[in-house]
Amino acid sequence: MEEELLRLKSEALAKLASISQVGELEDFRVKYLGRKGLFTGLMRSLGTVSTEDRPRVGKLANDVKQEVESEFLIRQGSKEGSGQALQQKVVTDLSLPGRALPLGRLHPVTQIMEEVCAIFEGLGFEVAEGPDVEVDFYNFEALNIPKHHPARDMHDTFYVSDSVLLRTHTSPMQVRAMEKRQPPLRMIAPGKVYRCDSDITHTPMFHQVEGFLVDRKVSFADLKGILSIFIARIFDEHTSIRFRPSYFPFTEPSAEVDIACVMCGGKGCRVCKQTGWLEILGAGLIDPEVFKKIGYDPEEYSGFAFGLGIERIAMLKYGINDIRLYYENDLRFLSQF
Amino acid sequence: MKFTLNWLKQYIDFDLTPSQLADRLTMAGLEVDSVEDLYPNLDGVKVGLIKNVQPHPNADRLVLCDVEVGEEIKRVVCGAPNARVGLVTAIALPGTVMPADFKIKSSKIRGEKSEGMLCSAKELGISGGTAGIMELPVDLVSGKSLSEALSLHDTLIEVDLTPNRSDCASVLGIAREVGGFVGRKMSPPVKGDLPVLNGDLPFSVEVIDQDACPRYAARLLQDVKIAPSPWWLQRLLLAVGLRPINNVVDITNFVMLEYGQPMHAFDFAKIKGAKIIVRKAVAGEKIVTLDGVERQLDTETLLICDAKQPIAVAGVMGGGSSEVTETTTDILLESACFNPLSVRRTSKFLNLSTDSSYRFERGVDPDGVVTAMERAVQLMVEIAGARVVAGGVDWGRGVSGPASISLRVDRCSDLLGMKFTADDLAALLALIEIGSQKVDDHTLSVMPPSFRVDLEREIDLIEEIARLHGYNELPSVLPVVQMSFPERESGRDLGRQVSAIMVSQGFFEAINYSFVSERHFEMLGLATEHKLRQAVGLLNPLTEDQSIMRTMLLPGLLENVRHNVNHQKGDIKMFETGKVFYPGEQEQPHEERRLVVVISGRRSPGAPVLHYGQDKVDLYDLKGCVENLLTELRLPQVSMVKDAVAPKYIDAEQFLSVQVDGREIGYLGKLAQVNLKSFGIKQDVYFCEISLDDLGVLTVAPKVFQPLARFPSVRWDMAILVLENTASGEMVIAIRDCGEEIVEQAEIFDIYRGKNIDSGYKSIAISVTYRDYNNTLDDDTVGKVHQKIIDMILSRFNGQLREA
Repeated sequence: MEEELLRLKSEALAKLASISQVGELEDFRVKYLGRKGLFTGLMRSLGTVSTEDRPRVGKLANDVKQEVESEFLIRQGSKEGSGQALQQKVVTDLSLPGRALPLGRLHPVTQIMEEVCAIFEGLGFEVAEGPDVEVDFYNFEALNIPKHHPARDMHDTFYVSDSVLLRTHTSPMQVRAMEKRQPPLRMIAPGKVYRCDSDITHTPMFHQVEGFLVDRKVSFADLKGILSIFIARIFDEHTSIRFRPSYFPFTEPSAEVDIACVMCGGKGCRVCKQTGWLEILGAGLIDPEVFKKIGYDPEEYSGFAFGLGIERIAMLKYGINDIRLYYENDLRFLSQF
Repeated sequence: MKFTLNWLKQYIDFDLTPSQLADRLTMAGLEVDSVEDLYPNLDGVKVGLIKNVQPHPNADRLVLCDVEVGEEIKRVVCGAPNARVGLVTAIALPGTVMPADFKIKSSKIRGEKSEGMLCSAKELGISGGTAGIMELPVDLVSGKSLSEALSLHDTLIEVDLTPNRSDCASVLGIAREVGGFVGRKMSPPVKGDLPVLNGDLPFSVEVIDQDACPRYAARLLQDVKIAPSPWWLQRLLLAVGLRPINNVVDITNFVMLEYGQPMHAFDFAKIKGAKIIVRKAVAGEKIVTLDGVERQLDTETLLICDAKQPIAVAGVMGGGSSEVTETTTDILLESACFNPLSVRRTSKFLNLSTDSSYRFERGVDPDGVVTAMERAVQLMVEIAGARVVAGGVDWGRGVSGPASISLRVDRCSDLLGMKFTADDLAALLALIEIGSQKVDDHTLSVMPPSFRVDLEREIDLIEEIARLHGYNELPSVLPVVQMSFPERESGRDLGRQVSAIMVSQGFFEAINYSFVSERHFEMLGLATEHKLRQAVGLLNPLTEDQSIMRTMLLPGLLENVRHNVNHQKGDIKMFETGKVFYPGEQEQPHEERRLVVVISGRRSPGAPVLHYGQDKVDLYDLKGCVENLLTELRLPQVSMVKDAVAPKYIDAEQFLSVQVDGREIGYLGKLAQVNLKSFGIKQDVYFCEISLDDLGVLTVAPKVFQPLARFPSVRWDMAILVLENTASGEMVIAIRDCGEEIVEQAEIFDIYRGKNIDSGYKSIAISVTYRDYNNTLDDDTVGKVHQKIIDMILSRFNGQLREA
């Protein structure tokens, strides 16, 4: 029995040393160390050993089995030892992608909106939102756009009833704020606005930020100063900018603000209709009529107001060529910004 | 407003290229929309004289023409019926690229050679024109370039006028502005020598509605010869997109474009009773307008009538009954000033906008009425051989002109932010013919000219000063303001916070239209009387798909899911924060901010499959996102409650109600199969919708510092066998809330069904973390508490302890 154990041990160790394929290790385990393996078989026959020899032989059997098992584990690579592990060394494959968590993103319109608001908040402007469904008075009348005024043609309006409509600009917040408070006022009103128009450059809903400042002695020069800062921030400091006369019923003097075309750098291209300039926002000094309607004395107070379209800024900054993409919410689009 | 460069140059001399001119106009507030070369490719088209015409041997409808082009004779095959000997026409020589984008080549047509093409005006892009090749004046020299012969070379400029600048809806108005920036005065057409406007009237005019018609002038012209207009006139009208009709109509259109004064020519023979009455329509009255449409009028519509019937809608369009035709000989020419509001109202009411209504509704120069009429009369005499009858009507001539406006120099300086003197201001205004008088060094008395109907107040003049000085020449400074404490809008802050939390959890933000389709309600299976179907409708939606204001955000996101799945982007984590609208007692609907979250497809969209696998999302993914959201918002009072009644479109077994104190403020779950189908989505979608306004009013749990533990914790496990329908999450809550101070945390780490577990049962493995903040725990203490907890769980959840 003892001889048999030692023979089996040397046979097993020799066999183990000769194994060269990982797959053979399992065969070895089954043959020698498994439940029906050779060592187990030998140990079952311990009963045939005489009672006085049994403890000694039993111990030997255990030692032998453990030694083989230990060598097996070393060969398998699951235990450190002097022998050589057969297991292939795993190389960290640095070319594989990292275990990146899926990222989410804000909609590009929200991103630009936040950027715009942050610039004005940094200048001490308050942020206020108002109702999307507005009454005619705040959207038009109070802004010096009476019924049957040609300027209503500039606003293709969705109506809910005769006197209730979807706001066509966020300018009603100007009136709502001034009605409640006394100057000085510095405020921006971001939000959704609606016009019945739909093509490659118009969607029936879009986003606007209206801003205004009312105080004593506010001048057109102040308006130019604030808007120049804004444009330097939202585009870059080298962006050329120009102010040109325009018309809005609630501002006078009124201005459109252009920036040098971001596509061609001002040389003239399809995007800027060869003019080298892109219209970016509308602005002006608040018309005295608006102040009068609210009950401010236009001799005492003056102010400026401006309004800009968020989608347009995002289109120019990112080169987006179809405004309708904003509202398809295609992940291939949303994941780009 | 469209005009051509050469037309403009008839009134003002300047040395600017078209693009320079466009730039200057734009900077003067007359935004140039386009600058376009007219007839750019007609260099190869020459004047030709047909010398000989003979039949084509192989084609009945074709003829062979020998055409003199300068020194040469060209043989051309032609199919036009008006090809005849002696006709001067246009010939496109080989190499010419026609406007329809084909190139003329020498070729053989039915076996006969053809060295060019005889062209109609239409083929050359000059006009809609009549059939047949061009009939040019016989005095044109053959061989000359057609462009040169017809003065075709010109540049078309289109200005996008703002509603206040009605004065520039005329070439003369534009010329005046150009004069302002080139420093020259424009010269209007020279007045003819016409019989004076008074004397016996061969007709009468009665203006009943004087508010709507402050001025009405009319003049009679006899022996008019109706004929096509001369080429110079046709050319200008064609260039700006008007169709030449006949000399009389063309002249009224031309003068309208020149002076901005719309005019109308009536066939005098057709005016009953030789009488013009300007009045409002009576109820039920109708008129057939020149476009052949019968129009029902309302009592606000201002009409021009004869003794019997309406003959024109004032300022909008003439009537068919008094139309000038080829047989007309006597003409009553009307030039009037109608009230802008009245014309605009009528134009809107009739849904009829014309070049005339466009100008009247913005305001025409009341003093220009007669000047423009006399210009037209002069042209009628020159072009149509008209004989002017002495006398005419100029009703309302005494209309008081605009009052003078006082312009304060300091006010102007303050508002524009730079110092001006009274002389500066006067000089600037004079550039565009605005006269003024210096009252003193601080005040100017300004007389706004009648053509500037927009100048009524001091601020209007200040805008002119800014414009004339140049906006870009004004200073730019930063305002000096008081510091203030800006208020914050809590709804907006919450929305931003929620968006940030969702983005941090890997969600993309969507923005959908606020208006949706009513169809969505049916797709979700909501009954007609369902609360959410009581939506605010639009009176004038663009499409049926955008006809009501949304009452829920979910349908928009479901559309987005379908769109993305259909574009092979089926792994979706998206959210939207936005308003929904409910009709209420108030005039304006109630607006509520809500959040909607949707997930579908792979659990880790876009993340490497190698690391994260292909597992699909389930309800726990969604619930976890909402748990994170509530944790981050620090709103422990919000709970997710099972066993509530699910909306029909949510799978009842996978539904949780989001509640505060028993009140539902949102819900989450799995979209029911049938609704997935109606939205055309072929994969499971889990979603959550919560009212942000309801969250916004809750008290946020304050952040309170917990001292860090100095003594170690120990973890003891238990495995409890319970019935399948046991809410195992509640076991954990029961342990946390058991009142034992040393219980720090409890967590289910495994749920086992199968071998050794009877069917209908599950084994819940829970680990409990114990910690004493003041001591190191010993096994004895923990053991006692652990046993107590096991006993409590076994009895409360009717469980059996499973030996590990």
